[in-house]
Amino acid sequence: MSKKAIFDFLDRERAMPARIPLQLRRDGDWGELYGRFAAEEAKQQAGRCLDCGNPYCSWGCPLHNRIPQWLELAREGRVIEAAALCHETNPLPEICGRVCPQDRLCEGSCTLNDGFGAVTIGAVEKYIVDAALAQGWTPDLSQAPSTGKRVAIVGAGPAGLACADRLARAGIEATVFDRYEKIGGLLQFGIPTFKLERTVLDQRHEVLAGMGVQFKLGVEIGRDVSMQSLIDDFDAVFLGIGSYRYTDGKLPGQDLRNVLPALPFLVQNGRLVIGDDADGKPIAGWEDQIDLPDLRGKRVVVLGGGDTGMDCVRSAIRLGAASVQCVYRRDEANMPGSAREVANAREEGVEFLFNRQPLALLGDDAVTAVRVAETRLGEPDARGRRNAEIVPGSESELDADVVIIAFGFQPEPPEWLAAHGIAAEANGRIKVAPKPRGCAKPSSNALPYQTSNPWVFAGGDGVRGADLVVTAVQEGRDAAAGIAKLLLG
Amino acid sequence: MMECDQAGPDPLGLYDPRDDRDSCGFGLIAQLDDKPARATVEAALEALARMTHRGGVAADGLSGDGCGLLLKQPERFLRALAKEAGFALGSQFAAGLVFLPHDDADAARCRDTLRKALAEVQLAVAGWRTVPVDAGACGATARANMPRIEQVFAAPLIDVEGARPTPETFRRALFLARRRATQRLQDVPAFYIVSLSADSIGYKGMVLPSRLPQLYPDLQRPELESSVVVFHQRFSTNTSSRWSLAQPFRMLAHNGEINTIAGNRAWAQARAHVWRSEHLDPREFDPVIETDGSDSQSLDAMLDLLEAGGMDALKAMRILVPPATQSLEYKDADLAAFYEYYALNSEPWDGPAGIVLFDGRYAACTLDRNGLRPARWQLTKDRHFLIASEAGVWDVPAAEVLRKGKLGPGQMIAADLRDGRLLESDAIDAINRARAPYKRWLRQGMTYLHSELIDPNLAAEPFDHATLAGFQKLFQLTREEREKVLRPLAETEQEAIGSMGDDVPMATLSQQVRPLYDRFRQAFAQVTNPPIDPLREDCVMSLATQLGREGNVFADSAETVRHVHLSSPVLSQRKLRQLLAMPPYDTAYRYIELGFDAGTGIRAAIEGVCAQAEAAARDGVLLLILSDRRPRRDQLMLHALLATGAVHQHLVRNGLRCAVNLIVETGTARDPHHFACLIGYGATAVYPYLAYQTLHDLGVRGILNTKHGEVAQIGRSYRRGIRKGLLKIISKMGISTIGSYRGARLFEIVGLDREVTELCFAGTPSRIGGAGFAELQAEAEHLAKIGWDNNALPEIGGLLQFTPDGEYHQFNPDVVQALQRAVASGTREDWARYADAVNTRPPAALRDLLALDASKANAIPLDEVEPIEAIVRRFDTAAMSLGALSPEAHEALAIAMNRLGGRSNSGEGGEDPARYRSDKVSKIKQIASGRFGVTPEYLVNAEVLQIKMAQGAKPGEGGQLPGHKVNALIARLRYARPGIGLISPPPHHDIYSIEDLAQLIFDLKQVNPDALVSVKLVSHAGVGTIATGVAKAGADLITISGHDGGTGASPISSIRYAGTPWELGLSEARQGLLANGLRERVIVQADGGLKSGLDVIKAALLGAESFGFGTAPMIALGCKYLRICHLNNCATGIATQDDRLRAEHFTGLPERVENFFRGLAEEVRGYLAQLGARTLGELVGRTDLLRQVDALAATGEKIDLSLLLAGDGLAHGGHCGTPRLAAANDGLAAELDADLDLVLTNALGGSFAYPIRNTDRSIGARLSGRIARLHGDHGMRDAPIDLHFTGTAGQSFGGFLASGLRLTLEGEANDYVGKGMAGGRIVIRPPRDATFVACDTPILGNTCLYGATGGELYAAGHAGERFAVRNSGAVAVVEGVGDHCCEYMTGGVVAVLGRTGLNFGAGFTGGMAYVLDLDRDFVDRYNHELIDILRINHEGFEAHRSHLTDLLETHAALTGSVFAQRILDDFRDFLGKFWLVKPKAASIESLVDGLRRAA
Repeated sequence: MSKKAIFDFLDRERAMPARIPLQLRRDGDWGELYGRFAAEEAKQQAGRCLDCGNPYCSWGCPLHNRIPQWLELAREGRVIEAAALCHETNPLPEICGRVCPQDRLCEGSCTLNDGFGAVTIGAVEKYIVDAALAQGWTPDLSQAPSTGKRVAIVGAGPAGLACADRLARAGIEATVFDRYEKIGGLLQFGIPTFKLERTVLDQRHEVLAGMGVQFKLGVEIGRDVSMQSLIDDFDAVFLGIGSYRYTDGKLPGQDLRNVLPALPFLVQNGRLVIGDDADGKPIAGWEDQIDLPDLRGKRVVVLGGGDTGMDCVRSAIRLGAASVQCVYRRDEANMPGSAREVANAREEGVEFLFNRQPLALLGDDAVTAVRVAETRLGEPDARGRRNAEIVPGSESELDADVVIIAFGFQPEPPEWLAAHGIAAEANGRIKVAPKPRGCAKPSSNALPYQTSNPWVFAGGDGVRGADLVVTAVQEGRDAAAGIAKLLLG
Repeated sequence: MMECDQAGPDPLGLYDPRDDRDSCGFGLIAQLDDKPARATVEAALEALARMTHRGGVAADGLSGDGCGLLLKQPERFLRALAKEAGFALGSQFAAGLVFLPHDDADAARCRDTLRKALAEVQLAVAGWRTVPVDAGACGATARANMPRIEQVFAAPLIDVEGARPTPETFRRALFLARRRATQRLQDVPAFYIVSLSADSIGYKGMVLPSRLPQLYPDLQRPELESSVVVFHQRFSTNTSSRWSLAQPFRMLAHNGEINTIAGNRAWAQARAHVWRSEHLDPREFDPVIETDGSDSQSLDAMLDLLEAGGMDALKAMRILVPPATQSLEYKDADLAAFYEYYALNSEPWDGPAGIVLFDGRYAACTLDRNGLRPARWQLTKDRHFLIASEAGVWDVPAAEVLRKGKLGPGQMIAADLRDGRLLESDAIDAINRARAPYKRWLRQGMTYLHSELIDPNLAAEPFDHATLAGFQKLFQLTREEREKVLRPLAETEQEAIGSMGDDVPMATLSQQVRPLYDRFRQAFAQVTNPPIDPLREDCVMSLATQLGREGNVFADSAETVRHVHLSSPVLSQRKLRQLLAMPPYDTAYRYIELGFDAGTGIRAAIEGVCAQAEAAARDGVLLLILSDRRPRRDQLMLHALLATGAVHQHLVRNGLRCAVNLIVETGTARDPHHFACLIGYGATAVYPYLAYQTLHDLGVRGILNTKHGEVAQIGRSYRRGIRKGLLKIISKMGISTIGSYRGARLFEIVGLDREVTELCFAGTPSRIGGAGFAELQAEAEHLAKIGWDNNALPEIGGLLQFTPDGEYHQFNPDVVQALQRAVASGTREDWARYADAVNTRPPAALRDLLALDASKANAIPLDEVEPIEAIVRRFDTAAMSLGALSPEAHEALAIAMNRLGGRSNSGEGGEDPARYRSDKVSKIKQIASGRFGVTPEYLVNAEVLQIKMAQGAKPGEGGQLPGHKVNALIARLRYARPGIGLISPPPHHDIYSIEDLAQLIFDLKQVNPDALVSVKLVSHAGVGTIATGVAKAGADLITISGHDGGTGASPISSIRYAGTPWELGLSEARQGLLANGLRERVIVQADGGLKSGLDVIKAALLGAESFGFGTAPMIALGCKYLRICHLNNCATGIATQDDRLRAEHFTGLPERVENFFRGLAEEVRGYLAQLGARTLGELVGRTDLLRQVDALAATGEKIDLSLLLAGDGLAHGGHCGTPRLAAANDGLAAELDADLDLVLTNALGGSFAYPIRNTDRSIGARLSGRIARLHGDHGMRDAPIDLHFTGTAGQSFGGFLASGLRLTLEGEANDYVGKGMAGGRIVIRPPRDATFVACDTPILGNTCLYGATGGELYAAGHAGERFAVRNSGAVAVVEGVGDHCCEYMTGGVVAVLGRTGLNFGAGFTGGMAYVLDLDRDFVDRYNHELIDILRINHEGFEAHRSHLTDLLETHAALTGSVFAQRILDDFRDFLGKFWLVKPKAASIESLVDGLRRAA
């Protein structure tokens, strides 16, 4: 194996895999934006890693992935080992490689992000796992004899899948329940295909099934099966129920026609794009009546600057909108959405309007405009985040044919939680025991992610509120460790 | 390093005053015809007095460290004394000096015990005499310890058998009586027999040499005549040293240190059960040789024992301190066989050693294999043989000298008084070689295991994947270790390199289960003895290991040879199998399994293994194999190191160790440190099966990038890597052969409870406790659990590289980022966040277990505390060389420190003169072993001159700057070639001993009298003793570095396993200095991983008044702790010379560094207010303000830091930054100062003449310092001053010479001539009336031109060892040289017109040499690694030919050399016998260019 060229980080530019040409995207190509590295490219890009004594990438990753280690394996072409190592910390690496906002996490922390161009960690991760799976590799469970324990997992989103994977590796049979017909939760229904092609989830479904994970799809707990029966039939339960209730901005006019909540918009589009039944099982029960307007030639305004907002603006582009504007109340530096996504969106023609606070949606029947005011940033609050203050007298109106509201989501805990002794916060988040940080010793005897019902664990957006896929994966993974500890000692 | 004994003062905390080391001046004078004379005694006394500068003086200024004489029995004198005392002596008698207790009853008991012991061997006391003494000769310290001194006379009870004893039986009887009396009086520490012999008598005391005759008026009596006098002057590190440890001992006096002493003593104890002669059974004596006191004393006792067993001194001494024998094999097979034969049942006593001895017949001197002590001799026309540490201690007119010489490495010379002849080394070899048919015996009895060139059986039965993974977990072989430790070993055949020190918690503090080996810290040599250079001087080293039953050293016969020879103790599977299939081992080996039942308990398991081993040894088993190769699911695994230590110790105690060989078959041994631990605790050989299995797995998967590209070579490559690592580890301690390291326990344990060390590792310092058996068992349980849990993932590691869920790292991303935020913003809030991240971390350093105890303090308002400006003056940045750092980063640190009023440290890479006298100057200039760019001007542009004895990241090793970092600037400043890597030798070649350090300090103070001299040490058990010695040697400042320091590149195992926390070293140094009354004389600095104000406060409370910072200011400059410094690709532009990275990516600002130190000082102020102190100085040494907190409850480790806190608080300070007075300048140097004042000031030039003697040291250095200050290094080139001297020059003649000084010496010179010279000229020629042959005679000592950067040296005679080592610019012509000439040379020209020693040109990467090879054997004497040799007599070499002629002509003209003139006269005949020596990397053309430029 070739020796590492120590100046590659300087001599070789950071390069992402080739993207789908702009015109095709504007013409409605929903394929994954980024292609795949060829083997040689992947080695070269992985070889840019400095292998720092302080791997800031790994530190910046909620999963603490062994990034420098698998980059080195990738550089050496040891794809199978690299994939196995990716899986040691990350049950869903090819998915994180695609959907993580790397520029805020690993790549944002990368030493080389300071003037050199970070290592393309996400793209290499995607390459490694895709390549290994394509070569027929699957996780080796030969050393995990069945323990006879069984755990029910509610929700086949990233937290639930991650938990299932770890349990399977521990010889614990995991049965995953989901009210939808496919696995993935928001991965399946929320994230546009230009970020994550659905074949990836199909493949992961196969991998997990191959590991012995059972799936009960289209089954809703509390309707089709009772929580009590799970508690009775299984040794423990994990709740990865997500966070679907969208944050109500209480904007005047939000009920006007052509004002769309982000998630139903994305879901329905997604179903159309992949050719599923657009009238499939509705999402979370309340938005099934969404009337998806044709965006072709329309002026679209998206309110909100998070990752969901970015998904909306870029979907709108692909749906042929005449113009797409993204309205966000703070400045660009303070916007939560991934900078990489912002750049892609800009390139695709999205206009960003920073420091604008939406005040109302105007129109009689259908929306025609958004009233906004300019803002400036105030003093940092206790957490260091600077709030937007409205500049008096700066109001203006933005014409709009369609407005999409992407203000974020909050958990909506099912009613049966309390009945089973599972406490939740006032804001709906399920209460769990914390994971000790770093080297600190655990402060209580509770296992991480254990709820107030000791046989029930929870993680992901249902616990955190809407957050990243990777944090959901991390919680599912670590909850599984707690469950294994509970069941196996 | 020395063992503790029952006698002597009690230890104070960590500092153990019995941890005594010495070094010294020595010599002997012998009249070959055995004619006693008063003049001989006088000459010895005079010589002794002239070596006063080599000894030590206590804090009272008068108590010397001891000196003494051993005289051939002065019969007439003793009879006179007896007569005066009122008793008569028969024809045969013995006499001796005895130290007795002052208590009369005790003294009477001692006399009586001796009388009875004499009576048992048919001897009687003829009488006792009180020796007259003048206590006024002693200082107060010595007087307080002075014993009652009497003389005893003994004679045969001739009536008993009716016959007188023969001289031999008389000698043996006296030996037995003396040893028995001593043994029976072990409870009376004051009882000590200085000597009791019919052959000699000793006098010794703790006085300065000039006062010895005053102390003992006997010595002034004219009747005192002798034909042999051995004398010695001691420099001890310990001022309350005992009278009994003054030298000579009964037979010998020793200058240097026996590095192997711990192993030697242990093996002596083991062998007492095997060694036997007709007249001697050493088992009678316990200990068999003295194990307390000094190394020299033990060596004397061993020689004594061997002679009592029937050996003569020529044989015994050569067996004890053999020369390097590897190269003997092809030169003199019979002599090689002599050494190999005795090596089967003895191991070398190794270390710097100049030994003079007298045993009644031979007055001899011998040197260690490395020639680390000087010994110059002369034979006069009246047949006096004189040898001493220095030339010039006798005034013998040149015309009276018949011959002169110097001993080379591993040589011996002896005056045989019986036959009246002088035996030189060859003659002694001839005697030894012919004693027995050793070669035949070996041929019959030695087996050499076959080793195929390619060993296919790395692992004949490879583990399957799951088994391998299980073993790896069970033995904690992590992925990190596999990729970053094992792989490089197998791929590159050497250890991997890392950077930035060790920032994980000590194993005992860790929350993780760490390998047991992590609790063992390798010992290393500093100051009192040197490390060996395993890179360039490996010709003296050996890992050869013999397997077989050890025999009786006194019984010479073929029968005792039934051994197998292994080239190293690292076994391959193939060799182990061969061995087990070979008679007699095939029926005489036994496996002892290390698995045990949890219920048994680990202590019982260890005891069980010991019992099995003992039983096996009693059954006649020859090979004991301790094995963890067959773990069982239901069992726990006993760590191989616990088993090895316990079994070895058990077998030694039971007298069985020599009967068996201990093989360890273990999965725990993977890196060189693991092997060193196992061997150091007694393993004969180690079979590291798991390392092989792991590598085999990597190999078959095609992953290894081996040197040869073949899977089959992996095992061999790995073993080579391990062997190099092992050599490095033993060399660090100054040990040359693995035999001397085996069982020597050269470690300090940090983190094991006494119950464990007693059972397994007795004799190893372990001072703070730690894990006991319960904790070790819990660890074994943990490992068994994950090992057998198929579902547990392989461990990732995280010791070298931070992993977020792994081991804690002190410089983790949080800390780094918080620090960078704090120094960028400069706000209190950000500093508080940073300080909090540091001060509330999980325990990572010992200080984290200590909390401030403000309960007794009255807090004061913050504004009453001294300002930031006063505190920052106590802060230094640690040594980081330009070379390791980019110029931008290096200068930013200097600017910041200069603005603050602290000090930055140049590191060892020189400094651009453009920075002198600017805001970029480094106020601390470092003097390291490479001496890069150390010129007089460099030295005078400093406030502090720091001698780097050791560095935290790799104590005992030299720095290395890889070639890719040596750009044009670095090369210019270091006087080297761009692109060629630079290595600093592990030792300072002018510091092999404490008195040498004193000399270097003296040199530096001569050059720059205004500077403080600082000595940088690394913490390890015994550093208190070293610090005391360093203070006595004249240092102003002592830095104690922790193991965790280090910013540059080092081998990973050095980073991880050597040195101890500074908290231990600092405390020990504080206690040692206090105990010796020296604390007020030095400033003490702590250095190593200091990060916060709280760290500073704790260091102050533990005794530091100054503080060094390495990593933290770097991080302030933008370093992200990437730990890739060694690669030159530092992405922050700090640790790199790459132009792009420096220009575009370095963002460091001095202001950030200033913010760091200000933030630190402000935090310190807060604590000062809290503790009620107005200044930091008030808190120095106030250990009462610290208390230990229990932070380790979770792991159960029982750490006790009370020893650290012991000792009175000492409040003082204020001399930070204030230079102390320099020693008074007197003698010739003062005279020169006065005479040349105006000449120097006005650069006038001129010519002057003076007599000179050996006590005139460093002549020229002081003048050069003034020149450098006034005019620069070369400012007086055009106004030369000619100085003519006549006589013998002291050490460092012409040291650090500046241009314009032209010294001519008629006579001879000692060591270090022209050391560090930058310009000028030195000419040395023999006295005009000399009759010896100049070109065959030494005229210079050792280590001349060390680190010279320019100038010229012409000397008409031989130079000593290591001539022109690290020369980087001087031109020299000499007429012969010792070993290791031109070592590490990077520039300049050396012409040798005569014989060279071995290992010429090792590490020679620049410059050139001419060597005249009349004997046609130069090809065997040069080191082939880096140089080519060429003939000069063909075409294309005209330029060199004329260059050589020019040199010869200059030499002949200046020195009057007869030989040079003869070469010139017959140049055609001689030309064909010259070699031109050049670095392989340099072309002939480039050399010619160089000549042209120089012309």
